[in-house]
Amino acid sequence: MSLEIQNLHVQTDEGVEILHGVDLKINKGEIHALMGPNGSGKSTLANTIMGNPTYEITEGKIIVNGDDISEADPDERARAGVFMAFQYPASIPGVSVANFLRMAVNAGREEPIKVLEFGKVLRENMDLLRIKPEFTKRYLNDGFSGGEKKRAEILQMAMLRPEFAVLDETDSGLDVDALRVVSDGVNALQGEEMGTLIITHYTRILNYVEPQFVHVMLDGRIVREGGPELGRELEDLGYDPIREEVEANAS
Amino acid sequence: MPPSWLDESRAAALEIYEREEVPTWRRSGFWTTSLRGLDLDALEPRRYEAVAEPPEIVGPQEDLAALIVQRGGSTVYAWVGDERITVMPLEQAAEEHSELVQRWFAKRLPAGEGKFEAANAAFWTGGAFIHVPRGVVVDKPIQVIYEIEDPGTAQYARTLGIVEENAEARIREYCVAPDFEGQALHAGAFELYLEQGANVKLAHFQDWGSGEVHDISVKRVEIARDALCTWVPIHLGGKLTKQTLDIITAEQGADMRHYGLYFTENDEHLDLFTTDLKEAGPTSGDTIWKGALTGASRASYEGLIQINKGAQDTHTYLQTHSMLLSPKAKGDSIPSLIVETDNVSASHGGTVGELDEELVFYMQTRGLTRAEAMRILVEGYFEPVVQKIEDDQLEEIVRGRIAEKLTAASDEVAQYIEAR
Repeated sequence: MSLEIQNLHVQTDEGVEILHGVDLKINKGEIHALMGPNGSGKSTLANTIMGNPTYEITEGKIIVNGDDISEADPDERARAGVFMAFQYPASIPGVSVANFLRMAVNAGREEPIKVLEFGKVLRENMDLLRIKPEFTKRYLNDGFSGGEKKRAEILQMAMLRPEFAVLDETDSGLDVDALRVVSDGVNALQGEEMGTLIITHYTRILNYVEPQFVHVMLDGRIVREGGPELGRELEDLGYDPIREEVEANAS
Repeated sequence: MPPSWLDESRAAALEIYEREEVPTWRRSGFWTTSLRGLDLDALEPRRYEAVAEPPEIVGPQEDLAALIVQRGGSTVYAWVGDERITVMPLEQAAEEHSELVQRWFAKRLPAGEGKFEAANAAFWTGGAFIHVPRGVVVDKPIQVIYEIEDPGTAQYARTLGIVEENAEARIREYCVAPDFEGQALHAGAFELYLEQGANVKLAHFQDWGSGEVHDISVKRVEIARDALCTWVPIHLGGKLTKQTLDIITAEQGADMRHYGLYFTENDEHLDLFTTDLKEAGPTSGDTIWKGALTGASRASYEGLIQINKGAQDTHTYLQTHSMLLSPKAKGDSIPSLIVETDNVSASHGGTVGELDEELVFYMQTRGLTRAEAMRILVEGYFEPVVQKIEDDQLEEIVRGRIAEKLTAASDEVAQYIEAR
C-alpha cells in the first residue's frame, strides 16, 4: 500500500513549469520528510497531490494503492485516503469546527456517524491535541491564531484517519509548545496505518518527529535522498553545499 | 363608520395617486426598476371570507401573542392571546381607537412620497394595528401575515405599530403567496414607532413564491430616546420587489441593529434601498446586508447612512455583501454616506463577490463534493444574519428555503464554478 509519484511535471495555470520530473514513493507506516528552501516547489507538490486546480500535471502520475488519481477531483482523492494539512488553511465563516468535522467525517462514510460516537472520538482527539472544548464552537479558522489553525488541521487529520498525510509546512510559525503538541499528534496517529510526508524548510520538527527517509528538493527536482542523517546534515550545513554540488554536476 | 379624518386622508391620497405617473426607478444610469411588465388595470383588491382556523404558516397559535391574517383585501383571521396589548385590523382600530391611530398614522410615511405610497394610503383595507402599552413586556411574537391567494390581486397592506415607553415586543410580518401563474401586486406600508426606552425585535419575511408578484413597499421605523430596534428583513422570493426600508434614530440614546438577507433566483428582480437616518446624537447603529443571486436574477442593494445636522456623537456602521452564483446574475452592493455634522464615526463597505475557489478546494480536500462545499459555504455566509432572527422556528424556515434554492440551482452553480 503506497502513495507513489512518478516523473511528475507540473505547471501553474499561467503555464510556468514548477516541477520538472519528481519521483517519490511513500509506503504505509513510513514517515518521509521533503525538505528544501522556499520556492523549491514543495508546496506545489503537496497541492498537486491533492488536486488543486491551480496546478496542471503535464507529465507523470500520482498513484494511490495502485489507482491512478492524477485526474481525480480533490474530494475523490480525499475519499481515496489522501489528506493534506495546509500551510495557510482557509477560514470558513459561519461553519463551526464541530459542524465542519462532522460533515467531513460523514463525507467518507456510507452511513452518517452517530452523534454520540462522533462526540466521543472528537473529545479523544481534542485531548490528544490539548484543544479546549469551546474551540469546536468557533467558526473554522475564522480569527484563529497561526498555532490554532495548525492544530485545527491536525485535528481534522485525526478525525479523518487518512492512509496518507501530507503536512505542508505545518511546523512554520509555531512556537516550541505548539510544535510539540502538533508533533505529539502526528506521532500518535502515525503507525502502520498511515504514511506521512512532512514538508518543511526547517529541520526543527525533525527533533520531534523522526523520519525514516529524507528528500531534498531544489528548483523543482529531488536532488538528494537519504535517511535521518541527511536531516542532521542539513541542520548543520544548510542547503548551500547541496546547491553547490548540484550546480557543479550540472556544469 | 370610519372616522372623518381617515376619509379625508384617503381622499387626499387619491388625488395624489391620480396625479402621479407610474414611476420608473433609475439609479446611476444603468440600474432601472420598471413596472412596464405589470398590467395594473387588470388587478383588483379581492375579497375573501373569514376563516375559522388560522393558516399554518408558522407554528401553533399558542406560541404567539397575537395573530392577524389578511388574504387579498380582507382580514380573514384575527386573534389576541395577550390581554395587555391591542392587536386588530387597522380598519377596526381607526374606528375603535380613532384618536390614538390618528396621532401616529402616516407620521413618518406620508402619502405624498409617490404613486404607490398614495395608492396604499387611498386604497388600504384590513391592515394591522399593534399597540403595546407602556412597560408591557410581550415575550411571544406578535404576527401579521399578508397572503396573496390568487393571481389578479392588488393588495394594499398597511401595518401601524406603536410600542410605548419601556415596553418590549417581538413583531413579525410575513408576506407570502403560493406558487401561482399570473400577476399580482402588493403595495405595502409598514410603520413602527418605538417610544422612549422601548425594545423591539422586528422581522420581515417575504416569500412570494414563483408567481409574478410585484412588491412595492415602504417600511419605516422610528426610534425614540434610549429605545432599541433590531430589525431583520428577509427576502426569499418575488418576481419584482422595490422596497424602501428606513430606520430613523430620532432622539438621543436611540440604537438600531439592521441585519438583512436576500436570495434571488430565476428572473427575479430585487431593488432595495435602506436608510440609516440619524436625526439626533448620541445614537448608534449597525447595518449588515447579505445577498446571493442565482439564475438570471438581478439584485441591487443600496444602503445610505445619513447623519443630520445636530446628530453629534453618532456611531454607525454599514456593510453589504452580494454573492453571485451564476454568470447571468447581476448584483450591486452600494453603500453611501451623507454627513452634515461633525464628531461622528461612520463607516461603510460593500462587496460583490463570487464563491471563493480556494475555499471550495479546501473543503473538497476534506472529502466534500463541489456541490456540498458550495452549499455549506453559502449557508455559512448567511448564517451570521440568520442567527440574528433569534427565533429557532423562523430560523429553520429560512435555512430550509436557502437550502431549497441552492439545491434548485446546484447544477447551474457547479457548471459555473467548473467553467471558471
